Amino acid sequence: MISEADTVPPRSNPPLVRATNVVKRYGAVSVLEGVSFEIGEGITGLLGANGAGKTTLLGLILGLHGIEDGTLSVLGIDPFHAGPEVRARLGYAPEHHTLPGDMKAADLVRHVAELHGLPKSEATTRASDTLWLVGLGEERFRPVGTLSTGQRQRVKLAQAIAHDPKLVLLDEPTDGLDPVQRDDMLDLIVRVARDFGIHFVISSHLLDEVEQICQGAVILGGGQVLAAGTLDELRGTGSDIVLDLDAETFVQSVAATMAASGAIVKISGRSLVVTGGDDTVFDVARDACAEQGAGIARLGRRRLTLEDIFLEEST
Amino acid sequence: MSIGEARIHERGYRTYDGERTGVLGAVRALVVNSAQRALGLGRPVRHKVMPAAVMIMAYLPGAAFVGAAALIPGELEDEFLPSYADYYGFISAALFLFAAFVAPELLSTDRRTGMLGVYLASPLDRRTYLLAKAIAVFGLLSIVTLGPPLLLLIALSLEGSGPDSWTEGLRLAVRIFASSMVMSAVFAAVSLAVSATTERQIAATATIIGLLVGTTALASILEEGADLPDSIRLISLIGVPVELNYRIHGELGEWRVDEVPTWSLWLAVFVVVTGSTIWIWDRYRRLVVRR
Repeated sequence: MISEADTVPPRSNPPLVRATNVVKRYGAVSVLEGVSFEIGEGITGLLGANGAGKTTLLGLILGLHGIEDGTLSVLGIDPFHAGPEVRARLGYAPEHHTLPGDMKAADLVRHVAELHGLPKSEATTRASDTLWLVGLGEERFRPVGTLSTGQRQRVKLAQAIAHDPKLVLLDEPTDGLDPVQRDDMLDLIVRVARDFGIHFVISSHLLDEVEQICQGAVILGGGQVLAAGTLDELRGTGSDIVLDLDAETFVQSVAATMAASGAIVKISGRSLVVTGGDDTVFDVARDACAEQGAGIARLGRRRLTLEDIFLEEST
Repeated sequence: MSIGEARIHERGYRTYDGERTGVLGAVRALVVNSAQRALGLGRPVRHKVMPAAVMIMAYLPGAAFVGAAALIPGELEDEFLPSYADYYGFISAALFLFAAFVAPELLSTDRRTGMLGVYLASPLDRRTYLLAKAIAVFGLLSIVTLGPPLLLLIALSLEGSGPDSWTEGLRLAVRIFASSMVMSAVFAAVSLAVSATTERQIAATATIIGLLVGTTALASILEEGADLPDSIRLISLIGVPVELNYRIHGELGEWRVDEVPTWSLWLAVFVVVTGSTIWIWDRYRRLVVRR
């Protein structure tokens, strides 16, 4: 698991990607309808259901497609008009697993590093170093086709970072991995981001893994940005308060007591959610429980999960 | 070893602040990688069999002629040795096989394996990617079309059976070069166009051979069976470059000059190369890249 100590330092510099009212259409089909967001340093999750526009957005960041309206800058440059310049500083790992099976892992990573502008000798050395970094030092001369799914995901990560990019785009980096491999891969991404200052955009539909390692997220849906920002911003400062009681018996009476004190209370099982209010609500909750003789299991600010945000914004 | 001689050999992953070679470097890297891939370098042995067989088929006749020229009397050489234009007749099988094998290996495989998506996420774009692949295919075919006759010329010259003067030798070399470029251009264009159409390598290979042989057979049937003029032979994808090869060498091929003038052969080559280029670009311009 990723511990708090393993997380990447918070962002502070100008955004790596900035989109302002970006419109992208394929013929009559509108894929992105005026989306605006910023992606900063660290690890950012790109979330959305299938068909939400994630792949299109990755293509725009790579400068592979033009946009119909709005502005997009990647590393401060328009990626469509300076595509090669931008892509030289980007890394990319595709979702699919069908890289050339007869190519040795070291040859593949070296080749991609050369494509990104590294001289051959440097690319050869870095390919080896990068494969050691991702834990494939012993397997680096094995053909990609003979590697396991987990190892191939690591090869994809290695080819994406071997040329020391500024920003790496990973498309479903944990696809096909078991829970242990998945945690290992996420841990690896965090280590690379933290130790080498490489920033990541992770396209995923697994909200919990994004929540586990990302500092920010962009949530797409129906061609629009449903929500974007740092995780703290997205989850809110926790204006609502949750009171979990140790037994359901007292829920109604505690709720009634708190409501009588002016609090807006909703009941959910053994929990009471108090909407709004300042810190005095904590005193109101404590006093209501004491008055009714109810035990408190937990009392604190409510933190939204990405799933809460995603479901809320999607509906 | 003293302390002063100590070196760090394992540097580990680190940042890179050196020069980057840009688009030109990316094109060069892709050309080299593609050529190595087609020749089976750095791949398991089974991938080396076809290119090795093609090279043997292409170069063996030349080596045999050079050896024979050293053994037979000078006055019989002209009767025994083929002309440089005739040489392609001995290596046509190698040339067709290589043309049908190389382009599908280099283009179709990238789409099937998804490497195209990785390439287009590098400084390459669709134009520079296709340029690199075209250079690689053209260069590889030139190993077969240019190498053997050029080596034959050099070897025969060294043993005194070649051209009579430097100027004659130079003229011959230019003709060999021009002829080889025409051969490589036509076969590269056709094989790339077919390979741009399917991601199934076997299907592409079969289609290329079918097109080369089929158009040639059809031209013969139409010209002889339907009593159409000789110019119908211009639809033959094998016949056109072979006949032009004879004309470049100043020799008469199998086609009558008054029925199929040389300019029409050049025009046919132009149409094949340009048409293929437009087809390839259109296919890749509209291709949805799997990511």
